[in-house]
Amino acid sequence: MEYIYHIAVLFCLYGILTISFNLLVGFTGMFALSHAALYAIGAYTTAILATDFGIPFPLDMIASVLVAAVISAVIALPALRVTGHYLVIVSLALQIIVLQVILNWKSLTRGSDGISGVPSYNAFGFAITSPDRFLIVALIALAACYWFTHRLVRSPFGRGLRAMRENESAAQAVGLNILYMKLSTFAISAALAAVAGSLFARYFRYVGVDSFTINETIYVLAMVILGGMGNLRGSLVGAAILVALPELLKFVPLPVDIADKIRLILYGLVLMLILLVRPQGLLPEPRGRKAMLVSVEDESGPSDAGKLLDGEGGRQGGVVLQGSNLRKQFSGVTAIKDFSIALKRGQITGLLGPNGAGKTTAFNLLTGFLKPTDGVITLNGRSIADRKPHELVSAGVARSFQDLRLFTNMTVIENVIVALPDQSGRRWPNLFLHPARIRAEERANAARAMEILRFVELENKAHETAADLSYAEEKLLVVARLLATGAEVLLFDEPMSGLDQTTLADIFPVLRRLAEHGKVVCIIEHNLDVIKELCDEVYFLDEGRTMAVGTPDALMNDPELAERYFK
Amino acid sequence: MDLFLQLLVNGFINGSNYALLGIGFGLIFSTTGIVHFAYGSVYTFAAYVAWFLATSFGLALLPSMAGAIVAAVLLGVACYTLLYRPLELRRAPPLIPLIASLGLNIMLENLNAIIFGSGVRSANFASEVYFAGPVFFTSVHIWQVVSCIAVVAALVVFLRKTRYGRAILAMTDDPNMARVVGIDTKKVSYIVFALGSAISAVAATLTLMKDGASTHMGFIAVFMGFVAVIVGGVGSLRGVIAGGFLLGIVESLGLWKISTEWQSSIAFIVLFIMIMLRPQGLFSIARR
Amino acid sequence: MRKFLTAAIAAAAIFMAGPATAQEPPKDPEVFRFGAILAMSGKGDWYGKVMSRAVLLAVDEINARGGVDGIPLEAVIEDHKSGVAKEGVSAMTRLINISGVQAVLTSFSPPTQAIAPIADQQGILVLNGGGTSMALLGLTDMMFHNRTLASDLAIAAAMRAEELGLGNMAQLAWKNDAGESMIAAADPFWEKAGKSIVATEYMEIGAANIDTQVAKIRVSNPDWVALWTFSPETGLALKKLREFGVKVPLIGVEYTGDVKELAGASAEGYEYATDFFAPSAENPWSEQFAKAYRERYGEEPEFYAANYYENVYVLAEAIRRARAEGGAYWNGRKLAEVIRKSPTFPSVYAKEMTYQDNNVALKQVGVFRIENGEPTFQKFIDLNR
Repeated sequence: MEYIYHIAVLFCLYGILTISFNLLVGFTGMFALSHAALYAIGAYTTAILATDFGIPFPLDMIASVLVAAVISAVIALPALRVTGHYLVIVSLALQIIVLQVILNWKSLTRGSDGISGVPSYNAFGFAITSPDRFLIVALIALAACYWFTHRLVRSPFGRGLRAMRENESAAQAVGLNILYMKLSTFAISAALAAVAGSLFARYFRYVGVDSFTINETIYVLAMVILGGMGNLRGSLVGAAILVALPELLKFVPLPVDIADKIRLILYGLVLMLILLVRPQGLLPEPRGRKAMLVSVEDESGPSDAGKLLDGEGGRQGGVVLQGSNLRKQFSGVTAIKDFSIALKRGQITGLLGPNGAGKTTAFNLLTGFLKPTDGVITLNGRSIADRKPHELVSAGVARSFQDLRLFTNMTVIENVIVALPDQSGRRWPNLFLHPARIRAEERANAARAMEILRFVELENKAHETAADLSYAEEKLLVVARLLATGAEVLLFDEPMSGLDQTTLADIFPVLRRLAEHGKVVCIIEHNLDVIKELCDEVYFLDEGRTMAVGTPDALMNDPELAERYFK
Repeated sequence: MDLFLQLLVNGFINGSNYALLGIGFGLIFSTTGIVHFAYGSVYTFAAYVAWFLATSFGLALLPSMAGAIVAAVLLGVACYTLLYRPLELRRAPPLIPLIASLGLNIMLENLNAIIFGSGVRSANFASEVYFAGPVFFTSVHIWQVVSCIAVVAALVVFLRKTRYGRAILAMTDDPNMARVVGIDTKKVSYIVFALGSAISAVAATLTLMKDGASTHMGFIAVFMGFVAVIVGGVGSLRGVIAGGFLLGIVESLGLWKISTEWQSSIAFIVLFIMIMLRPQGLFSIARR
Repeated sequence: MRKFLTAAIAAAAIFMAGPATAQEPPKDPEVFRFGAILAMSGKGDWYGKVMSRAVLLAVDEINARGGVDGIPLEAVIEDHKSGVAKEGVSAMTRLINISGVQAVLTSFSPPTQAIAPIADQQGILVLNGGGTSMALLGLTDMMFHNRTLASDLAIAAAMRAEELGLGNMAQLAWKNDAGESMIAAADPFWEKAGKSIVATEYMEIGAANIDTQVAKIRVSNPDWVALWTFSPETGLALKKLREFGVKVPLIGVEYTGDVKELAGASAEGYEYATDFFAPSAENPWSEQFAKAYRERYGEEPEFYAANYYENVYVLAEAIRRARAEGGAYWNGRKLAEVIRKSPTFPSVYAKEMTYQDNNVALKQVGVFRIENGEPTFQKFIDLNR
């Protein structure tokens, strides 16, 4: 039955589009609505190459994929400077601009006439012109795209994407390269859309801009959201429903003159009803244990996490991270006026001062989240002026946030695994080049993560969603996540605030043990008791300046400071 | 130079239309967080109601507009009651209303086409042409600018001086905080849907008068309104107005030396560059 | 003379076909089901309305007279959502596989281009009465057009302007295949006539706001403005140009109810060149069609209606001729063959029309002028001049 085959081919095309779009909006959380433009680029590339230059399969499809990926990466670079609604609008603008360029570049694209007479696939003299034959090609392509994307999202790379979606700065703080992940996802998503585009050109044998308007992006977006964001099977379900629904409605007998409008009304109604009944989409994103890449048994395997908890050795008391004469100016406001600090191995340094003194800004400078206006920061004597946060994490400087910034929709153990260093699976080509290595690493990492959780006594909560933890447990998880980075210099932004005495008693030894193991620890803290109990040296900041440096006792006995601050 | 001046004036007039659309759409968006795409269908519906009143009953401009406003308010409030409110109660994630709204838009657009029939409509209200040196404009154009000013003035007074107005501002700033301090966010949502829809009816009647109405006029209208909101900065009235005028003027002047075959992308190229340079919008909420 | 030629060609074609093989008895279907893929929703739904009405009118008329040789016709109306290629292909597949049609009426350029390969491969006769782009020519032998190409209409309009002694031309064109094919035809024609083109402006289909284009046309100081647009934008253009004080002659290629609605009094004096459809005593069929359409739908028929009405009759006539040859005649290829064999058909326009070698029916192009709100016939344009 050719008609059924035709619908099945359409399903395959939209299945690929939905999967690729889900990768972008669902898994990565980037609402770039220029998908139809990339689909168009894929279709036009194949149409032009096959029709005007007689380029055969698979070269045409490869060219489509490359062209779309490159264009996508190029337009992503500026577009990625914005997020949220701005990204939506910028990408819609790109969609319109790309289509207009296609429309007006007549010598290449034949303008509004479109390209007809695109040759069909031809395998050994066997022309793939009918829907049933084409369906085989389309199914293979769909399966390949599904497999590829599935591999991609169920991997350290995919876990990084989810972490980034939850909180970008926290993802940077655990060493993830945001730009790399975003650009990769943009390019891969575009490449997959181009596969669908290439098939489109070969199947319909006609390519014109009418098929790639904003409406098409919206149609695919509806499929993604209907099926469930972040669920690949959901994407297939969403595509199947929205492809089949209009076709099924064709069999509802209606008065001819308004039939197709009534069908669209019914289409809109059904879409709304489904969303009202299932506002989260039909299939939920895999969470908890389902999101894990390895089995539970692997978590209790032998682990070398002990290494992560140790410093790199070297002289206790030696300066590791140093900031000299730092100044930071925001448009008009100078947050840090003159600040110098030296963090030493085996010591716990405290940063003290009233609200707005510039403590968190100082952290941001030391960890690369902000660039100083003036001044030098060195790590083991070498300047780290131009290093990005994730580079500093692998170089050994990591931080936590005052407002925690946990990956709340991920499990406790995932929060830790995502921060572990040296994961070759963070680079997506490795997923396909070295699958065995990645699996072995994953198993080892699950065990390491579990050991770190045992260290902070959260092992019983490993598979709970981070959002379900108590406040104290969240704080412990923050510590665990920071430890997991294996960094030598650990900067904690108010790790103790809001905790009761018993929990404090739990955390104190943890921090002290870290220092004993040769780590460099720095904490921002308001509680003088904590400072007194924990710190070897304290920097007192106010109005962006270092007011005093010394042991906790010395500072607190300073009559001037005592007068002004410690009442 | 004559062309430049004329295009500037055209842009200013179109800008007042975009500003109106942006204000109405933005009021709903910044207060409730709902990307109300079906705003376009409400706008279309209002235009057709105005057309119907003007041609079937021979009503003048203002009574027709009043009728359109009533119709738009009813439809807009119905959208909220029947679709968005239930979604809110079911705690739908933020993007679900957006998709539902697209479904609603498809439905309403086709309903409009069935109720009023396909094809374009125009209402010939009395219109005169004026010349100022080389530049000309019509009384419709004046109406458009005047309505924009009137709506803005009325809205500013409402927002600043009335209890509900202040509640809207509070909810725009922080919906959770608004709820905490005891603002009835449900009631406020109804009010912004009513207000936003009423403003769309003003824009719709004027467009009917200026360019005619078609059942597909809604999409580009809501799109331009959305863009005006984003360019200006979400939650800022000044910003939306500036965004609307900027969009109109840029779109018009952009074609001064460039072929009109680039018309639909010129505004977006500028928009793109603008967002790159100033991603927070012209007037972002400075408190953040 | 032309009539004689056609007859001679027809006779020759029959002769060339050689002595018929032993006549098989015709294999009759229960019903002649055919499809019509039209703009039933979306931006161009007005076209869908007019065209589908005309198709249904023609089918009912033919069936009321007992169908084609006693077998009824049945039309299945499908939607391409105002020109989406993919929708056209889905509709075509459905028509072939579910409705089992052998012939399809089509409109709009993108879906027509997209269904061409299917028609070619599966042997389905395609009759186009709406799409006007040059890109539609030569796609498949299965496709016939009874609508004059937009490019020819543009040349006719330009000829009229030349006749009126107009000089500098400004053009306002649809940003689509039809608009661009008209510019592509008119530009060389006008330049060859030794005159200049002072402005070429484009407008989006469905655009409501063309103030910029109109302002640019106005400052270019043209002697006339060519409107390479179709309904309803032509109406908007007329209204805006007049409103903005452009007083020179406006010449276009179409005038419909929508244009009339939008332009109102601004249409006064507007001239346009079009396939000549006006009910006239000269052709009683035209008057009868106009009357039937008016009675049924309460509106005057547009020439789009006339084209599709006529296409159904072309199909019926082709079936009749194919059936006369016997065998498995209810087959798209067979139908296309009989049309090519003897390409002259009765026309609701001027008595009859003949498909040329490029499968486009040659129709008379006439110039009309809007006087007191109504089109008034001015003269015929001879495109072969």
